[in-house]
Amino acid sequence: MIFKCSHTTRYTYEGPVAHCLSEARLTPRILENQRLLDWSLAVEPKPGSIISRKDYFGNDVSSFAVLEPHDRFTVTATSTVEILPPTAELQLGPSWEEARTMLTRCDQPDLLEASEFTWESPFVPWLEDLSAYANAVLLPGRPLLEAARELMQKIYREFQYKPAATSIETPLAEVAKTRRGVCQDYSHVMIGVLRAHGLAARYVSGYLRGDADFQGAQASHAWVSVFVPGLGWVDYDPTNNVMPSTGHLTIAWGRDFGDVTPVKGITIGGGKHELEVEVRVTPKQH
Amino acid sequence: MYKVTQSSTLQLKNSAKDSLKIDHRSYEPNPAFWDEYQGLDGSVRPHWAQFAECMSEMGATEFDRRWQSAQQIIRNNAITYNVYGETKGAERLWPLDPVPLVIGEEEWAHLEVAIAQRAQLMNAILNDCYGPQNLIRQGNLPAELVYANPNFLRPCHGIPVPGDVRLHFYGVDLARSSNGQWWVIADRTQVPSGAGYALENRVVAARTLPNFFNQHSIRPLNSFFAARRHGLLQLAPGNRRMVLLTPGPYNETYFEHSFLAKTFAVPLVEGPDLTVRDQRVYLKTLEGLEPIDLILRRQDDSYCDPLELRGDSLLGVPGLLGAVRAGNVVIANALGSGLIETPAHQAFLPGLCRKLLGEELRLPSVATWWCGQPVERNYVLEHLEELIIKPTFPRFGLKPVFGADLDQKGREALRRKIEARPTHYIAQEPVALSTAPVWTEEGMSPRHIMLRAFAAWDGHNYAVMPGGLARVSQSASSLVVTMQHGGVSKDTWILGRPEQTPFARLMLDEGDTTLHSPVVTSDMPSRVADNLFWLGRYAERVESMVRTLRTVLPVLAGEGDVIHNLTLEAVLEMMVAYTYLPKTVLKSPMGEQLHQLESMLTSMIHDPAGISSLGFNLKQMRQAAWPLKERLSSDTWRVLHQIEMEASQPARPFLGKRPASLQSKLDQTILLLSAFAGLLADSTTRGHGWRFLEIGRRLERGLQTMELLSHGITGPNSEPAHLELVLLVADSSITYRTRYLTMLRAQYVLELLLFDETNPRSIAYQLVSLTELYDKLPHRDGAGLWSLEKRLALKPLAAVRLSSAEELLQPEALEKLLSQLREDLYDLSEALTGRYLSHVMPSRLVSA
Repeated sequence: MIFKCSHTTRYTYEGPVAHCLSEARLTPRILENQRLLDWSLAVEPKPGSIISRKDYFGNDVSSFAVLEPHDRFTVTATSTVEILPPTAELQLGPSWEEARTMLTRCDQPDLLEASEFTWESPFVPWLEDLSAYANAVLLPGRPLLEAARELMQKIYREFQYKPAATSIETPLAEVAKTRRGVCQDYSHVMIGVLRAHGLAARYVSGYLRGDADFQGAQASHAWVSVFVPGLGWVDYDPTNNVMPSTGHLTIAWGRDFGDVTPVKGITIGGGKHELEVEVRVTPKQH
Repeated sequence: MYKVTQSSTLQLKNSAKDSLKIDHRSYEPNPAFWDEYQGLDGSVRPHWAQFAECMSEMGATEFDRRWQSAQQIIRNNAITYNVYGETKGAERLWPLDPVPLVIGEEEWAHLEVAIAQRAQLMNAILNDCYGPQNLIRQGNLPAELVYANPNFLRPCHGIPVPGDVRLHFYGVDLARSSNGQWWVIADRTQVPSGAGYALENRVVAARTLPNFFNQHSIRPLNSFFAARRHGLLQLAPGNRRMVLLTPGPYNETYFEHSFLAKTFAVPLVEGPDLTVRDQRVYLKTLEGLEPIDLILRRQDDSYCDPLELRGDSLLGVPGLLGAVRAGNVVIANALGSGLIETPAHQAFLPGLCRKLLGEELRLPSVATWWCGQPVERNYVLEHLEELIIKPTFPRFGLKPVFGADLDQKGREALRRKIEARPTHYIAQEPVALSTAPVWTEEGMSPRHIMLRAFAAWDGHNYAVMPGGLARVSQSASSLVVTMQHGGVSKDTWILGRPEQTPFARLMLDEGDTTLHSPVVTSDMPSRVADNLFWLGRYAERVESMVRTLRTVLPVLAGEGDVIHNLTLEAVLEMMVAYTYLPKTVLKSPMGEQLHQLESMLTSMIHDPAGISSLGFNLKQMRQAAWPLKERLSSDTWRVLHQIEMEASQPARPFLGKRPASLQSKLDQTILLLSAFAGLLADSTTRGHGWRFLEIGRRLERGLQTMELLSHGITGPNSEPAHLELVLLVADSSITYRTRYLTMLRAQYVLELLLFDETNPRSIAYQLVSLTELYDKLPHRDGAGLWSLEKRLALKPLAAVRLSSAEELLQPEALEKLLSQLREDLYDLSEALTGRYLSHVMPSRLVSA
């Protein structure tokens, strides 16, 4: 299935910004079941140049500077992405304890790479509460795949989706306590719980297809990917209680939100600003 | 005992030192520790013999006298360091002990090789972790020590580093245990501090004890700094233009930053002085943007680039990492090098050294166990009471715990914490630090000692500083050795002939004679010019305020001024015009008038909160001056400090007394302000910086005089009392009398204070100065055309020159001209700051 995506980020400033330097992670990743057919980035006012590179996690980064004074700043990424259906049913794989042991040994390249996602990170600190949250789910000998799925369901059931309740600055401890938040918070909670038990979990940013009844379809979305030794990375969306397949488009991944912020920039001047983000994902029929 | 007293000076108690003999038998170190000076049998160690001889030749009295003069050098050079936790900007004089630490030639030869090896090893580890990560893949280094390390900066992975050098400068803390063995206590790989202080210690010691240096063969330090500079320049691309990046004057070792900048003859800059355009780093100067090729940084890794590293950092340079990635700038040490400062790495160094260098590690680290390994964890849990427990990754607020200091309960709690998250803890064996003599009132006395040694990349190898920064504990019993907790430093003498080092020739080879005669760089960062501009404005505002207050004060005392015709009424009217007092005061009974005037004066002098108070403006003045620290002479700085002290004394109500003390205080402040202005004029070269200071001053004086005239001159028949007040506040009363020899007349007062281009207090004088100053600033405008700023500077001057006093005494004419002039000056100020200082704006992070 082919999708057309557009992702617009617009800043309106109170006063003029003299100079701004930005970084965007807005390029869909190329994956086994995801093809990137077309992509472009438009920045207004026009920057001198747009420089592309890959970051530590292999995400595409575009950086650019606007050197003329401006009071509006718009970044629009448009892409055409083809999503292929999963090729095979998932096997059950190892128990969560076995997975943990393998990640500690990390004697295979993929295990070593995954082990990077077992530690604390700036937005996902180790929390006693989160460690205990898994007790009902991580039963002895249970396959990791199944345990993670139940953890996702548990978070979906016990947390309340509340767009205004949190911001980027809300610490995870507070989210864990109030049990309210948005996709970013749901994902950080699930990652925190798994990492507290030595399991590898990463934060994925992306889009949801707009025609399905999903929470968070109008903005950029986030979910969780769990490393299951032998099977590879398996995605879980605790905000919508689904295991993503053809409805989720992957943009970038990292340890937490901080590694994959879609658009960030340093401005000189400008005063207060207003921010609008608009994401559209529409199926393209041939 | 030497003490650091409240007034930040080292003082020596007066005692009858003359009777004191230098008697080595009175030096009694505790035999449980190694003593640097003396063996267990009480004999002086051979490498100290010459020092001991020099000491007894000189005698205690002379030694002490010289020591006093050494402290004068410290004061004169304003060698300071900042103490965290005290008020911002609290600094102390650098505490130095006159007795050096002496290390013998042969012993140092071993240490030198070992320190260089360690620097090389650290560099190799960094290159691997920020490159292929083979050490982790092959199990030589636990993955967690890199991946979970907050100092592992992923954006720095794979950045290019010329010559594979990430570690250009390395510091290592050494200590000697009771068997005489040297151990490494800590590695400093991010922004090692202390080398500048070590050099400054040497300068002081060499001036204090020249005869010691004549009789000893003490290896000099200069060649090491030459080697370091050489090594840096080898790696820099382009024109090899270098700056030293400091986090700013509040940093603990800011003195050292400014000292090193002078030593290397490079500009000292803060993050906001630099900007990145098209992946190139530029210094913002008054002349425009100057490309920079090499940044010697003293700012921590994570604060260097708010775009890719810590977003909350205001100190950094947005886009810096991008410039590094593009190969356009070299940063020393490379960003991310803080990774291996974590003590947990020390447990793995012997294996890493064999693997990476194919050699045995020459200098052992103090025994270290990482609890992430089962065998090590068990050892630690069984020996808690003998060990120091530290977090694996140092974080703010987490302190090392001495197991011996804990009771049974405390140890149990610690044990549970370690068992819950073993990978988060390491344990180290405490070292029984050796002792060395310090100079006290009673003669020499033992103190525990640590040595920070340094190595620098010289272009081919790591050169080791033949010396170091020795630090001793505060008291004989204390084992805590840190400058933050009252420790004292020492010069370190490495015996041996200077020819031994291949770097002694470097300076000549390079034709580099600038090392100790820094060239004057024309790069005036815009931020500095901005600070000078505001310093000028505030200094002038304060001066004008003090003059006003001082003029008004005698009226309050009811002193019939016999020379001047001041009246209470004239004073009140002017204070009302300034809106310092409400209009109603004019109709109040005299007692009430005096009362209101008194409370107005009190709060203007003492209340630090009010924006029109003296205290507030003095604070602003000091704030503008503070970032200019290394550009102001120590005398200037002292005067500024004194002015502030005067102002910060608590309010004392008059209580019906004659306010004579207040009067003398204001007189004193005026004197200090003149001293400040004079010192500035005397000690500042007439560069662009000076021009901005002057522009600020002239602009403010112009504005103040305009305000004074508009409140004081009401028409051709202004009362003498008012005119007198105007002349006194403008400090032109005597000039008037010598020139006009007549009664006070509004027309003449205007001539003197508005038109006279030779009177330094007149408006015309300020306007002429402003155009002259502007002409000397750097211009990039088309030839033959007047710039906007030039036109704005000439406009008010022309307006004044084309007016006459008679015209202006017509109703409202003066007010009209003055308000136009005021507007013109504001426009000029805006145009100048926009043209020259516009990059001085705060940046911030936005994300979505």
